[in-house]
Amino acid sequence: MTSLEERLLPSAEPVRLIDQDGVPHDHPSYRLPDRDVLLDGYTQLIKGRRINDQASALVRQGRLAVYPSSHGQEACQVAATMVLREGDWLFPTYRDTVSIMSRGVDPIETLTLLRGDWHSGYDPYARNVAPQSTPLATQLTHAVGVAHAARLKGEDTVVMALCGDGGTSEGDFHEALNFAAVFHAPVVFFIQNNEYAISVPLARQSIAPSLAHKGIGYGVPGERADGNDLAGLLAVLGQAVERARAGEGPQLVEAHTYRVQAHTNADDATRYREDDEVTPWLERDPIKRLEAYLTAQGLLDDAARERAEGAAAQLADQLRDGLMPEPVVDPAELFVHLYTEQTQQMREQAAFLRDELAREEA
Amino acid sequence: MNTFLLPDLGEGLTEAEIVRWLVKVGDVITVDTPIAEVETAKSIVELPSPYAGTVGELHGEPGTTIPVGKPLITIAEAAPAAGFGAEEPPASAETGVQPDQAGEAYREEEQAGSGSVLVGYGTGERPGTGRRRARRPHARTGSVTISGTSLPSRANYAPETASPAPLVISPLVRRLARDAGVDLKALTGSGEGGLIVRRDVERAIAERFEPTAPVVAAAESRTGLAELRREPMSGFRKAAVATLSRSRAEIPEATTWVDVDATPLVELRESLRSAKDSGPGLLALMGRFVVAGLLKYPELNGFVDTERDELVQYDGVNLGLAAQTDRGLVVPAVANAHRLTTRALDGEIRRLTDSARAGRLTPYELSCGTFTLNNYGSFGVDGSAAIINHPQVAILGVGRIIDRPWVVDGELAIRKLTQLSLVFDHRVCDGGTAAAFLRFVADAFENPASAFADL
Amino acid sequence: MTHVKISMAQALNQALRDAMKADDTVLMFGEDVGALGGVFRITDGLTAEFGEDRCFDTPLAEAGIVGMAVGLAMNGMRPVVEMQFDAFGYPAFEQIVSHVAKMRNRTRGRITLPMVIRMPYAGGIGGVEHHSDSSESYYAHTPGLTVVAPATVADAYTLLRKAIEFPDPVVFMEPKKLYWAKEEVDLTEDQPGIGTAVVRREGADATLIAYGPTVPVALEAAEVAAAEGRQLSVVDLRSIVPFDDETVCAAVRRTGRAVVVAEASGFASVSSEIVARVTERCFHSLAAPIRRVTGFDIPYPPPKLEKYQLPGVDRILDAVDDLQWEDS
Repeated sequence: MTSLEERLLPSAEPVRLIDQDGVPHDHPSYRLPDRDVLLDGYTQLIKGRRINDQASALVRQGRLAVYPSSHGQEACQVAATMVLREGDWLFPTYRDTVSIMSRGVDPIETLTLLRGDWHSGYDPYARNVAPQSTPLATQLTHAVGVAHAARLKGEDTVVMALCGDGGTSEGDFHEALNFAAVFHAPVVFFIQNNEYAISVPLARQSIAPSLAHKGIGYGVPGERADGNDLAGLLAVLGQAVERARAGEGPQLVEAHTYRVQAHTNADDATRYREDDEVTPWLERDPIKRLEAYLTAQGLLDDAARERAEGAAAQLADQLRDGLMPEPVVDPAELFVHLYTEQTQQMREQAAFLRDELAREEA
Repeated sequence: MNTFLLPDLGEGLTEAEIVRWLVKVGDVITVDTPIAEVETAKSIVELPSPYAGTVGELHGEPGTTIPVGKPLITIAEAAPAAGFGAEEPPASAETGVQPDQAGEAYREEEQAGSGSVLVGYGTGERPGTGRRRARRPHARTGSVTISGTSLPSRANYAPETASPAPLVISPLVRRLARDAGVDLKALTGSGEGGLIVRRDVERAIAERFEPTAPVVAAAESRTGLAELRREPMSGFRKAAVATLSRSRAEIPEATTWVDVDATPLVELRESLRSAKDSGPGLLALMGRFVVAGLLKYPELNGFVDTERDELVQYDGVNLGLAAQTDRGLVVPAVANAHRLTTRALDGEIRRLTDSARAGRLTPYELSCGTFTLNNYGSFGVDGSAAIINHPQVAILGVGRIIDRPWVVDGELAIRKLTQLSLVFDHRVCDGGTAAAFLRFVADAFENPASAFADL
Repeated sequence: MTHVKISMAQALNQALRDAMKADDTVLMFGEDVGALGGVFRITDGLTAEFGEDRCFDTPLAEAGIVGMAVGLAMNGMRPVVEMQFDAFGYPAFEQIVSHVAKMRNRTRGRITLPMVIRMPYAGGIGGVEHHSDSSESYYAHTPGLTVVAPATVADAYTLLRKAIEFPDPVVFMEPKKLYWAKEEVDLTEDQPGIGTAVVRREGADATLIAYGPTVPVALEAAEVAAAEGRQLSVVDLRSIVPFDDETVCAAVRRTGRAVVVAEASGFASVSSEIVARVTERCFHSLAAPIRRVTGFDIPYPPPKLEKYQLPGVDRILDAVDDLQWEDS
């Protein structure tokens, strides 16, 4: 293997710095993050788990239309934003609610899409988080555009673009990586490989040795990490972001994780996978292993645990408070945002609906 | 008390079956405690409670089916003085919305029918049928409406004033004008913004007559008087003048009249009046008898075909009635009056009178009459040598009905008297027939029952 | 320059040059637009003048081109992209419809995309399959897009300048058949903006409504009709979205008769929309149904047969003859 290939191909094994039992391991290329970082990460994981579970409950209470959960994938969610600076951008998929909130976007604004009162509820420029949408991988080319614009402006912005294993089959994934490479754009393409695209398993999605191996086709270095190891993810993603920021061009990172729950609340996973496929992954839970490690290191005491739980509980309250009441929707808003200057046709149609509503039985 | 209504679980659910309860009455639970397993179309779903407190009521046994939006479980709120642990639901005042009201409002929104969905609320059944919205008011004179998704809007679409193409309400009306040779550009439309509507074209057709006799103006030198005023004759008046002159010029008419004791007729009319139903009017009753008389003496219900030298009698009566309008006298006719009941005849008379006043009579209505009944009694006079409504052949006038002295059974009495005057075209019959018809009608007025056999 | 006689291709080139000079956030990119100057030379000389950071080639990937433009527009740039032929834009259709059109509405106006997608379209150039499509109906049907269709050299310049300055995304349909048409123009003269139709010719008898490559054909038909004693007015839409209801309806009300002329196949097309909305608004003025002269509902024919597809003077005048003249 040439050194070019070595540079571009991922590690033979996914990078793992803390194993599922909480035991740390050295790695030739990556260092364990600082204790403060890991403690902060722990709190983020606890909060992330609570967000996932609370949101799932809220769907079953009729307060959200749908919730694609990242339960079990919280290490990926949280690592993706912990390695970013304030001016950097995050491009999430519809499953990355926890990631968006961990970037500092208001939780209720984050959930607007899934509650259904509008298509996106937050100001993308407030925290540099692109809006979520349903199409897969299409936002990756937007990520390239944002990154390239930053370069043209002489800024050292890095864009973290999230994608799933299924999304890597889409044409836009291919085009985005190719464009990013050709334009030397500072984008970290972060694939959360949770092994399922609704019901289609990874083996049907790709037979590449790993999804990170795809990078070499574009000249983009790929790396792979254990997606349930927050420490490994922070190290790998952190390095990818640094390289991109240093002008080395786009990076591809694959996290091996698992979608422990169904695609959404409306999916029945028992139709396409056995329970005993899922069970081993429960042992690989990201919170479990980090907690074991931190406790063993004497870094996590009861007070710290309580603080983390308290923060999570507060977040859960915030979600319930924000989502129990019925959202206020104004049909007039349907006609307002299409164009900077409202067209005559928009005005007419708005008037039509106003007239209908005025004649509505009270 | 908070009631958790069965939510729409995003699968087009309209109901769910309770598989088993995970709590029982009296249990103290926290928010998100799983309270039941329900079966949906696809799988079993565990439902977490949105409320904390004590389980008050389970709204169904395992195995029962609960519709979406109906109560599933009721939970008594924890005492307000309890410490606010992380799991307590917030006080309603802060959210401003009662939890079950919120649920109710949410339920109401999801009322439309559809099937299974993977990524959304799904939908439930829509209750009730029929309109839920008041109807939009529509102006009668053909406002400029825009269909589809735009609003009826007049202001934005006012027509250009620089020689626009004429505005016509529909292709059917354009055809009507074209077939009648009416020039649309010469019309002023009565609809909004000058829109030409059907009655504009019909009126133009009705008013389009050429005068046949030239009108000779009297010279001022003849009288030595100044002219008080001079008015051009309207198209309407010219048309009427033409008909009247022609009538007098062509028809050798004769008149015969008789005084009639109309007391029984008036009594008959009153007897038909009740609390619920004002009954047919006098004119309708008179009309009924006249129609019966014409069926008996069809010579008076006809037409003189001078071209062929033939006398035509019609099979049926279109009864013309004189009506005074702002523009002048018009004589619309009740078509097929012989087929109508008295009540129906009354209705038609009223309708035609209204149409006449509104200027909405159709050309057919104005010209189809075969005989005219002229009730000029409202003018306060008794007799009249009326002008026959050419091309009809007779006209029956009825004067005022007033109390007069009369002899009844050899005694003087005050009776309701009226005078009937029949003017007839002497070409169609002799005095005997005319008198017989007149006598028939008079007898019917004086003794309605006697006419019954011929009604 | 003031009065010059230039082709539409040159006018578009000048518009890009002037726009890039006026605003250095304006970028021009696509396939073959750099060194080659574009297969129609519309971007000729721009890379040389402004450098490869401003006018550049991309990999051959239309979805990527439009997607990247979205990102650039999100982060302060004004990208102008070229789809080499409008039919080659179909791979980018998802990006255009799901994101370019929806981004502003999705984010309640926080993200606006000041970008232009230029598409050479329509036929009459003897091109082999897939080079002569008219795809404007798909974009006109997509709420959130502005669709501009110039027909004259002056409008090509002005409307491209205005499209680039426009705060929202514009799909810019360039009638490639007219690229080499020369007109004498004054580029400094301001023309009406996006969303304004213009009456190119007045006439009292009937109104022809056209856009893009059928405008000159309609004008020619009007000339022939005049010689035959019938006066036709001709409306050049200039923009499909926003549609100028007012100008078009005023023109139709003056005559009471109208024919819509467009190359795209007629079923479910922009022409259908024009007939529907003009009929809704001008029904009382109409002496005859509004007729359409459009392409047949077939894939665009091969070069040897394309003349049967294209609306020509005779077909237009046949339609005008059908306007129920016996009824006036």
